[in-house]
Amino acid sequence: MKKITLKITINGRKHTLRIDPNLRLLDLLRDELRLTGTKEGCGIGECGACTVILDGRAVNACLILAGQCNGREVVTIEGLTGKDDLHPLQQAFIDHGAVQCGFCTPGMIMSAAALLDQNPTPTEEDIREAISGNLCRCTGYTQIVEAIQAVADDN
Amino acid sequence: MNSNPSIIGTSPKRVDAREKVTGSARYGQDLRMDGMLFARVKHAEYPHARIRSIKTARAKRLKGVAAVVTAADIPGNPAFGAIIIDNQPIAGDKVRYLGDAVAVVAAETEAIAERAVDLIEVKYEELPGVFDPREALKPDAPRIHEKGNLIVHHKTRKGDVGVGFGEADRIIERSYSTQRVEHAYIETEVVVAYLDPDGTLVIKGSHQNLFNIRSAVAGVLGLPLSKVRIIQASLGGSFGGKDDCMAVLGCRAGLLSLKTARPIMLSNSREDSLVESYKRHPYFLDYKVGVKDDGTITAMEINIVADGGAYASMTQFVTWRSVVHATGPYRVPHVKTDIYGAYTNNTYTGAFRGFGSPQITFAYESLMDEIAGELGMDPLQFRLKNVLRDNDVTATGQKLDHTVSVGEALEVTTRAAGWDEKRKKFPEENAGRIMKRGIGLACSYRGVALGAEGVDATGAIVRIHSDGSVDLTTGLSEMGQGLKTIFSQIVAAELGLPIEKIQYRETDTSTITDGGPTVASRSTIIGGSAVRKAAIAAREKLGAAAAEKLGAPPAKIIASDEKIMVKGDPVRAVSFREAATMALDAGMNLSSFAWHVSPPIWWNEEEGRGDAYFTYVYGCQIAEVEVDPETGRVNVLEVWAAHDVGKAINPETVRGQICGGVATAIGYGLLEEVEMVDGVTKTMNLDEYLIPTAMDVGKIHAIILENEDKYGPYGAKCVAEPTAELCAAAIANAVCHATGKRIRDLPLNLERIVLGHKLVKKKRRVR
Amino acid sequence: MIPFNLVRAESLEEALDLLDRQPPDVKIIAGGTDLLVELRSLSPREKGPGIVLDITPIDELKGIEDNGSTITIGPLTTHREIAASPIIREHAPLLSTACSTIGATQHRNIATIGGNVINGSPAADSVPALIVLDAEAVFKSKNGERVSPLKEIFVKPYRTDIKEDEILTALRFERLPEGARSSFIKLGRRNALAISRMNIAVIIVLEGNTIVEARISPGSATPLPDRIKAAEKILIGNEPSEELFRRAGKEVSGEMINRSGIRWSTPYKQPVIAALTTRALREAVEKR
Ligand SMILES: Cc1cc2nc3c(=O)[nH]c(=O)nc-3n(C[C@H](O)[C@H](O)[C@H](O)COP(=O)(O)OP(=O)(O)OC[C@H]3O[C@@H](n4cnc5c(N)ncnc54)[C@H](O)[C@@H]3O)c2cc1C
Ligand code: FES
Ligand code: FES
Repeated sequence: MKKITLKITINGRKHTLRIDPNLRLLDLLRDELRLTGTKEGCGIGECGACTVILDGRAVNACLILAGQCNGREVVTIEGLTGKDDLHPLQQAFIDHGAVQCGFCTPGMIMSAAALLDQNPTPTEEDIREAISGNLCRCTGYTQIVEAIQAVADDN
Repeated sequence: MNSNPSIIGTSPKRVDAREKVTGSARYGQDLRMDGMLFARVKHAEYPHARIRSIKTARAKRLKGVAAVVTAADIPGNPAFGAIIIDNQPIAGDKVRYLGDAVAVVAAETEAIAERAVDLIEVKYEELPGVFDPREALKPDAPRIHEKGNLIVHHKTRKGDVGVGFGEADRIIERSYSTQRVEHAYIETEVVVAYLDPDGTLVIKGSHQNLFNIRSAVAGVLGLPLSKVRIIQASLGGSFGGKDDCMAVLGCRAGLLSLKTARPIMLSNSREDSLVESYKRHPYFLDYKVGVKDDGTITAMEINIVADGGAYASMTQFVTWRSVVHATGPYRVPHVKTDIYGAYTNNTYTGAFRGFGSPQITFAYESLMDEIAGELGMDPLQFRLKNVLRDNDVTATGQKLDHTVSVGEALEVTTRAAGWDEKRKKFPEENAGRIMKRGIGLACSYRGVALGAEGVDATGAIVRIHSDGSVDLTTGLSEMGQGLKTIFSQIVAAELGLPIEKIQYRETDTSTITDGGPTVASRSTIIGGSAVRKAAIAAREKLGAAAAEKLGAPPAKIIASDEKIMVKGDPVRAVSFREAATMALDAGMNLSSFAWHVSPPIWWNEEEGRGDAYFTYVYGCQIAEVEVDPETGRVNVLEVWAAHDVGKAINPETVRGQICGGVATAIGYGLLEEVEMVDGVTKTMNLDEYLIPTAMDVGKIHAIILENEDKYGPYGAKCVAEPTAELCAAAIANAVCHATGKRIRDLPLNLERIVLGHKLVKKKRRVR
Repeated sequence: MIPFNLVRAESLEEALDLLDRQPPDVKIIAGGTDLLVELRSLSPREKGPGIVLDITPIDELKGIEDNGSTITIGPLTTHREIAASPIIREHAPLLSTACSTIGATQHRNIATIGGNVINGSPAADSVPALIVLDAEAVFKSKNGERVSPLKEIFVKPYRTDIKEDEILTALRFERLPEGARSSFIKLGRRNALAISRMNIAVIIVLEGNTIVEARISPGSATPLPDRIKAAEKILIGNEPSEELFRRAGKEVSGEMINRSGIRWSTPYKQPVIAALTTRALREAVEKR
């Protein structure tokens, strides 16, 4: 394996890295950069716990090679939080009881954030569709949908 | 001295929410330590085989490998277990299912460990396997454990079923079956094991029941309990599922840590988890019921066989809960129930939210609809005629001395759902449409906490600091259910503080005495009572100190609004902080440890009767579905779920529990199954194990009923498990209402809806 | 993940050059949603590709073009782009529907139509839609271009006839004619994130109230993607009716058994594919 050079912007910070070519974006974030808010639940694109925003769109970090992200921009859950304040979605998840074990939460919030960037006034159906790639075993989704809806209603 | 518990019954924000929404919460997989090694497991290659030899030399020689261990390296007991000591973290002489380990490797990276595992050579003598628990109980079945394949037989006896069937106008017999399902917590199992400088072995990870894991690890590794410390990392869901299998991981990683004196991370991939970790028991259930033409149930005879898989785990307890509740919440004068748990060479089965009740609820609630159908009665009316009421006697002979609210739950739920109208309207409307609508219900009762399963006691420590902030420690664990918040709320209520002042300490076996497992929805009622007692005790001490200063008798002092004040005279007050400083300066002890033991109950195993639980909860769920009879697709459009929780300490959390339980049960009813063929798991990841997505769970209406219970803190009982035991049955009943087809086996997948049975892959003929 | 080297091609030429030199085991990666799942499943003992060739930087393989009669889709176009494309919605709406049913948002954002086709899964959702559109596949190699009717590239499940030095560079088809109606129905076990248990794509062209053209292709039913001509024949020259559509549905299920034989799943698939076909035809007629 020959290491490759990767130029990538993560949460607004530019990085130039030498990485293994078989590294997934998920491994880069979690193991190399220790941005562990992005979770791994299946490794095959089914659970959505690894969801991050790549060039404005929600993607599964377990299904992309880090090397494929050259010149691109990634936002993770860590990049959503401002210096002191929470992102409105983070606040809404707290306010609406949308968090239980919390393992799905970062991925869920990233999917919701990507949705609201594209469509600030989604219907409940739009919301359910946008998070349908994020499995949650705890909440039954009800309060999650309500939390996202509440942020959308403020838009 | 009193408090002002106005925070009880409100929904303050979860105390652990911020770290979870920002991604800063540390789960097991997020842990890293200097010098950490990564472990991988060499799993069994046959579901039932004798191990002839294990060659590890090539693996050990691989660069980057630090240690390879086998059963021969285990310093303590070869196995552990709740009652039957049969679960072997590393198999010695024999493998009994494909999740058994024969060796475990630690290496510098996971990839090296993986390669090393591949280099281990194991020779087996394959033994005939048993994969159906009914086969396993036959006398000539291959023996999986020395003592035979019967794990347990429980019974319930009441009256004389012969007499009961004699009084009946009709006798109805039906058989049902339920499938093997997976907890499917989104976080798979993971531990990090390391040695503290003083030689204590620490196992940090995704643990549900820390004290169980501690006993297992100490026993297997030959360490005193005081030299083993179990710490819980943020837990990414458990639902009963991170108990024995975490002990297994703890033993494996702990052994490697002792061997290498380095931190070890052992984390299960989703595939490992599906093969290795225990599941919910598949049940085979036969029911025979006597009824009179007016709808009165006269007798029930029930026979159940449960697949325990390779190890006993919780089978004895799970099946006991089933035997107690198998008739459902009905007045049945004559009862004879038998349940058998059997070993097989399948993945073992154990605790899973519901704990022996989703299976029987599916059966008896399907059955109630079937009987109502035979009698030409409305399913609601038939149930209302037979459900338990105040002071009735259960199938185990227990007189119910609390508010029995199953009737109330049925009435409230059916009213909310528009039951009468929809039951009538849908069949008429269905005639002209492809998609058929249906509505069905299910109700249940459920013993709260462990019951006569075992000792039910737990402790809590409340410590008031000099600045008025407070630490709370218990041995029970947050799994997402909101325990940290509820307990903090109780302390806040008793001390008259805002919830932010309460710090719930990380759960660690070295900080508090063994308070039992976080199971059986016992946390609020047992744990909450201990927390409340501890808080009250701490408050009394503070009150005594303040009373002197305020010149009033302690009985007149209250804690409220961050103040200690004289009741009715709020000007005479000191701040909570001042009072704390004062008391501590005076050399007083502002810490308290309290212990709560459940009220007495009893069970006579020989006679199959007893007062099984000190109180019960009641619930009812209604599912409205749309069925596509041509393709077999079922959509759950709406669910109404009413649960009597005694008192909702935090209503939003209760709602979260209800919605989550319903979603899990929708998966159980329609989608989920871990398929095993001859001991081989076919469902290996979440692409095949399908749980509901946000588009598969319809609108859920959570209805909270409150009939306060004398045994619960503020009257609270429980909520976590009953929410998951009803909806599969409600869906099956709704599907039958929509299509006229009665499906008696779970899950109600596409093939069953269309064909009425499962598709079975033909086995290739052996030459 | 097993080890391999990664080469990022900045241009088609660069990619074709690399393939032409034929280093051992090059594997193309586009969205990676099939390939990475496959690579992850390999044990250290199994041999993976020596080089993974990333073609995603190649802009000329992206996008949708309409020259007034022919629509050309670059293989790197994502399912999201196809589902949202006004051109596709207007001139091949069933393909838009098919792509909108694939996986969930995260997958549609990166997974490509080229990957869906070349992966060759019998359950691939875009394929039956492309088959009824009579799509062609364009392959390029250092030695030139090869054009093939799409249905002819499938050799067996998970296998196409793409050569080692070739890249799929376009999928193209004619706009649907005036008066054409189409429908795509997917049957999955869940409402999202579901692989098709079966699916069906149909196009019918009406003149007045007479069906003058019909194209039907079921997915996950026959060993190889194809149109079911026998069922189409039943429709042509007739007026749409429930009875007619049922006959066509029966014919599709009969043809499925002719081609696949009786299998363990036949008792379920036989009635269901017939029902789905009938339903798709009904839906097509009712649309517009
Ligand atoms: C969770 C999940 C859900 C899914 N759901 C669905 C679904 O509902 N329906 C469905 O149809 N599919 C589904 N898929 C499968 C997959 O997403 C699709 O097949 C997708 O279109 C593949 O595209 P890709 O760009 O990701 O392909 P890749 O994985 O990049 O490539 C797939 C194959 O095609 C080859 N290839 C790709 N592009 C080219 C090219 N231009 N020239 C030559 N060869 C090429 C690759 O070498 C590889 O062999 C799902 C996958 C996942 C992980
Ligand atoms: S870990 Fe990426 S989707 Fe599950
Ligand atoms: S909160 Fe636990 S998985 Fe969603």
